[in-house]
Amino acid sequence: MGGYGDVELIKSNGERLDGRTVDELRPITIEVGVLPAARGSCRMTWGLNIAEVAVYGPMEAHPRKIQRPDRAVLDVRYNMAPFSTSDRIRPGFNRRSREISKVTAEALESIVMVEMFPRSKIRVEIEILCAEAGTRCCGITAAAVALADAGIPMKDMLVSVAAGKINDIVVLDLDKAEDNYGQADLPVGILPNSKEIAFLQMDGDLSPEEFELAMKYNMKAVDEIHKLQVEALKSKYSGGEN
Amino acid sequence: MVKIVPRLLKDQLAKLAEEDLRIDERGRFERRKIHMEVDVLSNAEGSSKVVWGGTIVYAGVKFALREPYSDRPADGALMTSAELRPVANLKYEPGPPSPESIELGRVVDRGIRESGCIEMASLCVVPGESVWNVNLDIHVMSDKGNIFDACALAGIAALKTATVPANRFDVGEDHKLPVNKIPIMCSYQKVGGRFVYDPCEEEELGGNERVHITLGDDGHVHSLQKGLKGTFSTAEFAEIFANAGEQAEELRKIVEEMVI
Repeated sequence: MGGYGDVELIKSNGERLDGRTVDELRPITIEVGVLPAARGSCRMTWGLNIAEVAVYGPMEAHPRKIQRPDRAVLDVRYNMAPFSTSDRIRPGFNRRSREISKVTAEALESIVMVEMFPRSKIRVEIEILCAEAGTRCCGITAAAVALADAGIPMKDMLVSVAAGKINDIVVLDLDKAEDNYGQADLPVGILPNSKEIAFLQMDGDLSPEEFELAMKYNMKAVDEIHKLQVEALKSKYSGGEN
Repeated sequence: MVKIVPRLLKDQLAKLAEEDLRIDERGRFERRKIHMEVDVLSNAEGSSKVVWGGTIVYAGVKFALREPYSDRPADGALMTSAELRPVANLKYEPGPPSPESIELGRVVDRGIRESGCIEMASLCVVPGESVWNVNLDIHVMSDKGNIFDACALAGIAALKTATVPANRFDVGEDHKLPVNKIPIMCSYQKVGGRFVYDPCEEEELGGNERVHITLGDDGHVHSLQKGLKGTFSTAEFAEIFANAGEQAEELRKIVEEMVI
């Protein structure tokens, strides 16, 4: 969090700078099967964010020391393209992308039926092409759809979304300005059917009451986003209108 | 991953070649369909997406100010890099850039740089003090063959649409990056004993040497690269060089239509 609590982010009429209400998501689109070389893939735009995800496997796990005799491992990479932010990012891994890759892998391992593929690995490649706050949520949500597109058995979908606090008010889905000058950010990953939590991070400052409200906004958004995930998969696999 | 070239695929390609056929039913010098979009990435100062058959490539341009090199105090610089990340194909492994990835970046860079499409002196802000560094990054998202040509095409299209963000850096007004030429790369691969244009994934897997030719607006050649094992005659080269001239003209039209 940037922590500049005095930057005006909510107008006097209660609207946010981009005209959204406190519990409104940015526009979201999801498309399935967009990368011909991949076994499963997904393109998601979320506000100005663009994420494209490719899934490969299950395949033999290499190097051998990462093999697990009773289950598959998920090899997840979250990567920001050099031109995805306002200042160019040097290619290659950094501490931030490594951490996000790790927590994303653990969240996805919680829904994939990994015990069906012992000694194998499933590769999930998340590429952020344009970043405007909320890329990890966008990446996780798109990765779950790409796994489904690849035909990987899963016990539930996974939706990731964040709520936060700006000008002492709890709001859903922070955009870039709100993220830079906001006071808190609470990204979660929720299984939309069981409502269990598979991914959770937070930074900033929230009272217990504010946390509860932020979680309430997140839960409501999960259902909205899950609908879009299902629609995207259906439009590929049910032959569109018919 | 160990690349096992399937013997059967090689045989199949050779058999097809005897009747001058290709595995995806194209003619010898027939290109796959291209779909191109520009200004697709809002955080890049210039961008493009090229869908070339099943191959998908993004290119983005970013600018930064820096001190010029002491031996060229009034020249900016163009840096082109292409990344072959594991997202693009099962065959690409994570880790530091592979020789293939570096070759791709350098060959694309040479074609664009040597065509002289950007005057380095036009990137000067204050001589001896500050110049623009133009970073052209090319990101391969799906490799279904011939990423070289797709990367080169995406690269020049992104440069053509780029706006120098002078305002944001407090050094004047935003203006279009002056790009006055359109270099085009054409790639050929030896498949079943003869060169074909725009190899697909199977042809790359079961083929031999490849040749990349970058041509400028006036038909002059700006970069050449021969890759992989194999040899070819001057007559074979003359044939593909002549063909490259025709292909380049068509591709140049696609770029011109897109970036008016």
